[in-house]
Amino acid sequence: MNRRSLVSIGALVLGVGVLSASLVAQQVATPLAKPAPAAKAAAPTGKPYTPPTTPDGQPDLQGFWTNSTYVPLERPQGVTKEYYTPAEAEAAINAAADREAEQTEPGTTADVHYDFSQFGLDRSQSKFAASLRTSLIIDPPDGKMPPVNAQGQKRAADRAAARKQAGGQYDSVQNMPIGSRCIIMGGSGPPMMNAGYNANYQIVQAPGYVMILTEMIHDARIIPLDNRAQASQGVRQWTGLSRGRWEGNTLVVETTNFNGKNPFRGASENLKVTERFTRTADDMIDYKFTVEDPATWDRAWTAEAPLAKTDGPIFEFACHETNYGIPNILAGARAEEKAKAEQAKKGSN
Amino acid sequence: MRAKLVVVIACAAVLLAVGQVRAHHAFAAEFDVNKPLTLKGSLIKWEMVNPHSWFHVAVKEPDGKVTEWLIEGGSPNQLIRMGVTKNTVPIGTELTIEGYRAKDGGLKAVGRNFVLPDGSRLFLGGSAPGGTPDKK
Repeated sequence: MNRRSLVSIGALVLGVGVLSASLVAQQVATPLAKPAPAAKAAAPTGKPYTPPTTPDGQPDLQGFWTNSTYVPLERPQGVTKEYYTPAEAEAAINAAADREAEQTEPGTTADVHYDFSQFGLDRSQSKFAASLRTSLIIDPPDGKMPPVNAQGQKRAADRAAARKQAGGQYDSVQNMPIGSRCIIMGGSGPPMMNAGYNANYQIVQAPGYVMILTEMIHDARIIPLDNRAQASQGVRQWTGLSRGRWEGNTLVVETTNFNGKNPFRGASENLKVTERFTRTADDMIDYKFTVEDPATWDRAWTAEAPLAKTDGPIFEFACHETNYGIPNILAGARAEEKAKAEQAKKGSN
Repeated sequence: MRAKLVVVIACAAVLLAVGQVRAHHAFAAEFDVNKPLTLKGSLIKWEMVNPHSWFHVAVKEPDGKVTEWLIEGGSPNQLIRMGVTKNTVPIGTELTIEGYRAKDGGLKAVGRNFVLPDGSRLFLGGSAPGGTPDKK
């Protein structure tokens, strides 16, 4: 695979990083074309950005956005600072892009896969949010998730035991991961996590509502803004139930009532996620989320995962209808069982 | 030197994170690492579907018999965003598929690499097959 030309990212990060050691986000064009010019994100005027408004007067967050990023959720081992220098960030991104583009070694498990690069699915081949941050997590200050408490560890052990009791992962479709079964993937959230590819969202606003559509897998969160009470605890959904409000130019969304079948980082069904969306430039939304679940972590934790403007529309991701991988995997597992049984029979004769 | 070390460590962590999020399902459970194959054939049909696209390829056996193989590739959404359509890879395009055969023994494989007659890898993000192929 050819090496991606990501030189401009360095310029981008440098350009904005000098202005401020705060969040940097920017679109990067597909690298086979010339990368986009740097930094519409933070104009050097010193004036605070004023977002446009919708006809009904809400700060306007509408459009197509991506949270694709090279910044890991947790700060890497050995890194103690909150921000890289522009040169370090550039090197990290270039090295990661090169590694993504490399061919895997034939005959290894990793090689049993299509080539992401040939399908335009490397992160460097589409727009992504660049940042000097060394981790998405900004609190705790060490950039790492707080340790899982005793209650959370017990629940993890119970879940593992239940999975074991249900049999092998490929014994039945119900035992397979819910993402593989096209039920829900990590991008939907909340919190909205980088899906790895197709990490795109559309935000639509109407009087009294905000809707966030996730490309993978087509989950639409409809968030009322009318201060209505949360639904009863008995009403639980895959993406929880969200309630929103404006605090100045920041959209604050609180979500509870998760169904517990898609535990975010091992959380319980009583997880509470508070998201904050602030448009800080025409092409950037500062997206922060705080996770609270005393049944899993003794303290809340917060991450900052910028949304960079990208091209629309959101394309259909009709996942279930043609998810041929599931029957293929189950048929493969049965074929292996049969072969082993025949082998054992031969051995006993 | 210290800065270099930091970057190297950061990259390792990034890669770890990538591995956790990028795979939709376990391809090594669907296809057999011990059954690598190379197929040569012509494209009959490209299913641009999710979560993964499928290429139908007519493969001529040594005895002259033609068999249809199904080859699994990637999600087409980003390609569509780049302007790629089904017409980008015309029916009849000659392809060499380097991949691994399905564990269930059917005429199915994962397409590790899609290679054009001139030896370049098909890069679908360009105006394939003639546009911006990816050199080996």
